[in-house]
Amino acid sequence: MTELALDIRGISKRYAEHTAVRSLSLAVPTGAVYGLLGPNGAGKTTSIRMILNIIAPDTGTVTILGRSNTDPGILDQIGYLPEERGLYKKMQVHRVLRFLAELKGVDAKEADRRIHQWMERFDLTTAGKDWGVAKLEELSRGMQQKVQFIGTLIHDPDLVILDEPFSGLDPINAQALKDTVVELKKRGKTVIFSTHLMDNAERLCDSVCIIARGEKVLDGTVSGVKAEHGGNNVALAVGAGGTEVLAEVLAKLLADHTMIEKVDDSNRFFEIRLQAGADPQALLRTIIAAGVPVQRFELVQPSLHQIFLEKVGATGVEPGMSGHG
Amino acid sequence: MAKLWVVIKREYLERVRTKWFIIATIFGPLFFGSIMIVPGYISARTVRDSKIGNLRILDATGTGLGARVAAKMAVSQQAVGSATQVITLSSAALTEAESTATIAVMQKKDQGYLVLDSTTLTRLTARYAGSNASAFGETQAVENAVRQSLLQTRLEQAGLDAQRVDSLTKVKVNMSVEKIDEKGRGGSGMASALFGFAIAFLLYFSIIFYGQNIMSGVLDEKTSRVSEVVLSSVGPDTLLAGKILGVGAVGLTQQIAWIGSTALVWKFRAVVMAKLGVPMPAFTLPPISIGMLCLLVAYFVLGFLLYASLFAAVGAISGDQQEARQAAAPVTMMLVAAMVFAQPVLFAPTSTLAKVVSLIPVTAPVIMPLRMSATQVPALEIALSLAGVALACAAAIWASARIYRVGLLMTGKRLSIANVLLIIKLGRS
Repeated sequence: MTELALDIRGISKRYAEHTAVRSLSLAVPTGAVYGLLGPNGAGKTTSIRMILNIIAPDTGTVTILGRSNTDPGILDQIGYLPEERGLYKKMQVHRVLRFLAELKGVDAKEADRRIHQWMERFDLTTAGKDWGVAKLEELSRGMQQKVQFIGTLIHDPDLVILDEPFSGLDPINAQALKDTVVELKKRGKTVIFSTHLMDNAERLCDSVCIIARGEKVLDGTVSGVKAEHGGNNVALAVGAGGTEVLAEVLAKLLADHTMIEKVDDSNRFFEIRLQAGADPQALLRTIIAAGVPVQRFELVQPSLHQIFLEKVGATGVEPGMSGHG
Repeated sequence: MAKLWVVIKREYLERVRTKWFIIATIFGPLFFGSIMIVPGYISARTVRDSKIGNLRILDATGTGLGARVAAKMAVSQQAVGSATQVITLSSAALTEAESTATIAVMQKKDQGYLVLDSTTLTRLTARYAGSNASAFGETQAVENAVRQSLLQTRLEQAGLDAQRVDSLTKVKVNMSVEKIDEKGRGGSGMASALFGFAIAFLLYFSIIFYGQNIMSGVLDEKTSRVSEVVLSSVGPDTLLAGKILGVGAVGLTQQIAWIGSTALVWKFRAVVMAKLGVPMPAFTLPPISIGMLCLLVAYFVLGFLLYASLFAAVGAISGDQQEARQAAAPVTMMLVAAMVFAQPVLFAPTSTLAKVVSLIPVTAPVIMPLRMSATQVPALEIALSLAGVALACAAAIWASARIYRVGLLMTGKRLSIANVLLIIKLGRS
């Protein structure tokens, strides 16, 4: 088995009006859950399309499971769920899934067997009703999402690429998706998903890459990235009536630039970044001395969300770019 | 190849399974059959139903011509029992009699009146006025009766015996028209023309119908975003080829079904027509050689590929159905132009116009088969025309594949002509 499921070296894509991806390199280990993070328009979808050879990069190479992505048959080992989802609406569900399976080289008989299993697992075939014979347009949106998800995995791919998989999912389908990602990882499969939702990435990913304006900003394991950017953050929660006093204290401390650098009010708690070399105990003493009823005072690593905001800022999108990531 | 086959299979099966395909395939032959039988039936009924009842003949010839015309009318109109009234009168009384007859027609007592006066015998003129004056079949029946009666009267005046005149002038000619080409005598000229037109129409209809079918298929894949999923498994060229071949196969299936069942209707038309009481038209279909059949298939296949790839490109650059209809207009117009030329080419298949439009690649697939059924086209012209269509076809496929590859992933953005030309030139956006 090869070490890397995906090895991207220096891919770029330039359009007439703008550069969508600029010399991007990534290394995704086999069996990892990998997050491609970035704001809308950062170049995520263009990168994914280049991985899948849907569009050709201007420069650079893409190697999947040790083979070039232009090798015949290599794409059969990838399952892809695009951001903008849709299937043949007038086709029967079973026929759509068999078509997708056959496109990936699964023979019809084996496809039928797998379709049956998946349909039962996702409650699309029950004792009372078989949605397999219904046309896709007769299904609810949630059911259509399930069908699309089955279509992505029906050929049992070794590499699964999910582009913004959580967008538009209802909570039940979102949970089913998370469960499936975890299960895929347990079976040794590699999952890459793009998202701009940091909470999901933080919970699911082993490694991440943040891209903005078509360029890589940082990458590494989630714990490594956090360790590199953290260690000096405090999560602080206060009891009833303490918020106003705390706000006054924090404003004062922010103004003199000696103890704290930044405060993020997350409603239920404050995430505070200390100045380099500042002592957290001194901060705790100052707050207690001011009479604030402290409920939680914890040294924490910064969230991916914090790191993302810090690295990308509010303007991670290059002017003139729109639509896909 | 395996993936191409999967795409072809889907395109083919999903279309032949639809209700409209089954209905069109079944009703097509009924439609074509009725085209063969109904006109004959209607015209036969029309002749029989031409009632020239209550006709007034004002005879001022003094030769008994009016009575003779009435007798002829009675023979030809016996089925409906016409009531022809002959009034023999002098030339002087004619004006007043005409006024009276006009009032009778206006009051709907009579259907019309026929004036035979002194000029009828000398200058061969007659006048008819009536409420049915615009009915061609009916006025022609009156004219026939007058002509025959005049002929008899003139022959009698020339000294022939009345009975001999009667037997000699009862002549009915049944003329059949036959086409002769280099290989000898073929089917009837009329049949050849009709056959040629039918083939041209079938090609035109199939190309435009299935071409637009491909366009909406491409558009559907694009707007439903399914194209991105499919493109992660097969290349755009395979997808385009599979779509065109699959839909083309649907068209061929339908045509084979139509031609086969129409041939059956043709075979049993005598039985059907006899049941309806319609006389069998006296023509036979022109014989089709294997060579001719191969050429017809070649023109259909090349013509279809040419237009299908153009329609696919239109689908790929459009954002919705309305945009696609507008963008498809130039493509459709080229085909419509071919049909506009069909009639002049049929009437003058050796004219310069016919030669030119059967060589232009965009009109050739429809016009050349039509011309070939109407006249003997030199082999060189056929070869040139086929080569032209093949070249245009290759160019259209090449350009369309480039447009298709890029257009399929561009959503919500309408491409200008300049954009499209740039894509064709660069092969990307």
